[in-house]
Amino acid sequence: MATTALHPAATGYRSGLYEWVTTTDHKKIGILYLLNSFFFFLLAGVLALGVRAELAIPGLQLVTDENLYNQLFTMHGTAMVFLFIIPILAGFGNYVVPLQIGAPDMAFPRINALSFWMLPLGGLLLFSGFLVGGAATAGWTSYPPLSEDRPLASTGPGQDLWITALILIGTSSILGGINFLVTIFKMRAPGLTLFRMPILVWTVLVTSVLVVMATPVITSALIMLFIDRNYGGAFFDPSRGGDPVLYQNIFWFYSHPAVYVMVLPAMGMISEILPVFSRKPLFGYKAFVFATAAIGALGFSVWAHHMFTTGSVYLPFFSLMTFLIAVPTGVKMFNWIFTMWRGKLTLATPLLFALGFLSMFLIGGINGAFSASVPVDFALHDTYWVVAHLHYVLFGGSVFGVFAGIYYWFPKMTGRMLGEGLGKFQFVLMFIGFNLTFFPMHMLGLSGMPRRIADYDAAAGWTDLNVAATIGGFLIAASMIPFLWNVFVSLRGGKVAGDDPWEANTLEWATTSPPPPYNFDRLPEIRSERPLFDLRHAKATPAATPPGPDRTQQLPPGH
Amino acid sequence: MSLSPRTRPATGMIVAGLFVVVVLLALALAVAVGIDVAGALRAFASGSAASFFPPDAATSQGDEIRSLYDIVFIFAAVIFIAVEGLIIWTVVRYRRKPGDDDLPPQTHGNNLAEILWTVIPTVIVAYLFFISWQTLNSVDAVSEQPEMQVRATAGQFQWTFDYLADDGETIEYTQFLPTGENGGLFAPVGVPILMMLESPDVNHAFYVPRFLFKRDVIPGQTNQFEFTINESEAGQTMRGQCAELCGIGHRAMIFDVHALTQADFATWYDEVRASAQPSGGPPASLPPNATIIDIAAQNIQFDQRELEVPASQAFGINFVNQDNGIPHDVAISQDGSLKFNGDDLPTVGEISYQIGPLEPGTYDFLCTIHPTTMTGTLTVK
Repeated sequence: MATTALHPAATGYRSGLYEWVTTTDHKKIGILYLLNSFFFFLLAGVLALGVRAELAIPGLQLVTDENLYNQLFTMHGTAMVFLFIIPILAGFGNYVVPLQIGAPDMAFPRINALSFWMLPLGGLLLFSGFLVGGAATAGWTSYPPLSEDRPLASTGPGQDLWITALILIGTSSILGGINFLVTIFKMRAPGLTLFRMPILVWTVLVTSVLVVMATPVITSALIMLFIDRNYGGAFFDPSRGGDPVLYQNIFWFYSHPAVYVMVLPAMGMISEILPVFSRKPLFGYKAFVFATAAIGALGFSVWAHHMFTTGSVYLPFFSLMTFLIAVPTGVKMFNWIFTMWRGKLTLATPLLFALGFLSMFLIGGINGAFSASVPVDFALHDTYWVVAHLHYVLFGGSVFGVFAGIYYWFPKMTGRMLGEGLGKFQFVLMFIGFNLTFFPMHMLGLSGMPRRIADYDAAAGWTDLNVAATIGGFLIAASMIPFLWNVFVSLRGGKVAGDDPWEANTLEWATTSPPPPYNFDRLPEIRSERPLFDLRHAKATPAATPPGPDRTQQLPPGH
Repeated sequence: MSLSPRTRPATGMIVAGLFVVVVLLALALAVAVGIDVAGALRAFASGSAASFFPPDAATSQGDEIRSLYDIVFIFAAVIFIAVEGLIIWTVVRYRRKPGDDDLPPQTHGNNLAEILWTVIPTVIVAYLFFISWQTLNSVDAVSEQPEMQVRATAGQFQWTFDYLADDGETIEYTQFLPTGENGGLFAPVGVPILMMLESPDVNHAFYVPRFLFKRDVIPGQTNQFEFTINESEAGQTMRGQCAELCGIGHRAMIFDVHALTQADFATWYDEVRASAQPSGGPPASLPPNATIIDIAAQNIQFDQRELEVPASQAFGINFVNQDNGIPHDVAISQDGSLKFNGDDLPTVGEISYQIGPLEPGTYDFLCTIHPTTMTGTLTVK
């Protein structure tokens, strides 16, 4: 398409670093999100390797300082959740959502830049704990009284830095959520009604509602904890009349919806990829939208399933709600499968990773149902079973989804294809490494291995499974090498992608790769959730797209 | 499509080939670093810890949880095999043939299918919820008049067990050694035991894998649960462990549970209570010339490691707790049995203990709440 009039070179943009640091272009900010998040993914992954290396065999060999061990898993969890999964999905949203709705940018481009730049600052604060006498040690949940300032607990500045960093990152999330909501509601192209929006846009919409509603709540808990630690507060200190369980309630009131923040956009990405590579529309579009909304709504009523063993929550209610949330999730699973059913599947790398998401998230859903059953949860809670469960959801689900998205949109972002051979090699390595790491953890948990221990007794019989998990962990790490090499090689001289290398359905493929500033100079007609499919097959099936009322193509506003 | 048609048929073979290569590489790597692969596989098959099922339950409540687990597992396994099978079959069956550029039928959905896969899972989870609720009501039940009451105190990083009188308050005997032949929770089989859980410092969790049960120990509140060890477990020792991160010593916060026949338990209980009686009994007041020792606790440490008192004379200890919000006390023990157990100081404060005459010998003094970190030697001569 002709976009020369908007080419950066022609509009007096400054080039290089200055341009990236000062940009308010949603695409550049989106890429910054991805790069920043991926950096913390690698960093937090290295911390996990430390944990796995120490646990491989009984005895303290590598991480002999247990305080350091606690720092490793605390920072691993915190960074993976708050600096990798949540922001990388926000990064995809940033890049893709305005393009998919035919908008020139986000609604508030400067706020968008502000939300991004809070993240590296937050990450820096969080990790600076290692430089000032020890990072936070109380786990990514940081339950008080352990996270209060007291002997044998979390003394020192690491925990305060953790709190400050999370408040900052949370504020970034809230700003981003509001920005997405306004963008999606106010800036859709003509003809793009709500029920023609790509599913990714729907999932980002629901995610943003969750973020805007839940994040201020955890911010309150963090501020209270900070006051407890530094200004003599006693919100969570039972020796002075506080209630430590209150923190858990507030924390999970945010952090359970946050699980959906961490997986819904990945589901959205899968829902873009499966139809394209099956050459079929998404099966049950509206059912899928309602299921997404149901997950978002039910997500606010299940938080206490993290607290079944506290003796302080009404168990049957939260058990029922937790079981019920499996239903909309199941609806999605069947819709995905029947999108592929009787399709014509091209097993390219994005689809492979999407299939990895389907098959692994299935396990993460099923092993979650065990914990919905309260008595079974009494046995499994706080054991390695839970570690297995959460990684099947967040790695098997979200991370496989993230890589599906990277392989799918990389051509749009850079104009170059990623190599298929290296992509498939990475997938196989990661898939095997992932299962080798996390599948044995089910058995470890069942046989009684608690989470967050630095060592275990050789007589416990946990050694073989831990050896397997550690080998798997290093395989996952190894799978990053073909990926990084693939990106490097493609950027230097990969196959040129063209506008629409996948024969895709949605508007981002109607512009150049990479798109110019402000994205489009003309838009195709939008008469369904697949405008590009309609355009491509308009001649073949004219009856399928009868001309509607006057919905002429227009340039997006503000341009 | 950017993928040229001739690369498509090779895709499946490339993936399969890569899979084999990677598995072989992983095995080679494992052998190279000296891991006994065959042994690991054998252990995997014979099931050291590698089982899809929890260990056999040692309590009647655990048996119920196990039955529930088995039902949930069967549902999970059937659903997993069906859905995963469907995914794999769909992918294999509906691969795009090389050169096939025709569009497949553009199915947009099917309302009957959506209703079916909403209703059927709803029925399944409603059933699982219902049986879970039933089991919960049973395993969470507490008798009005429990036959035996024990209070577990979980402090950083040690378990102590108070055997309580029927009033639920008076301590008849305190077991402050958490593990070993003479340490841990001694419990009779076949008797419903009410366990009360208290913490002086941070959150912990009482977890015995063979109970298939855990409950958090949270400062400021008393959690409780009831358990009845199966008759067949008499003579067995089980491992318990703290399951909630509680600080640097979390992994070492282990305790043993010794299941005894009711007769053996009665014998054990009489013996330990007899030996725990202080030899002279505490005097009402100390003689004017009695030895008085000053001890302080700060940052979960005593300021002294060695104490000395004269034999066969009552003496006093002035104890100062300088840890805000952290309880401490002073106790004196010999060979695992408590000779004196002072009252707890719940937070910053001062207390005077009076201790009756002791036989000459070497004793330990300790804080019963933090016995691993706060201990020293008391010489009586």
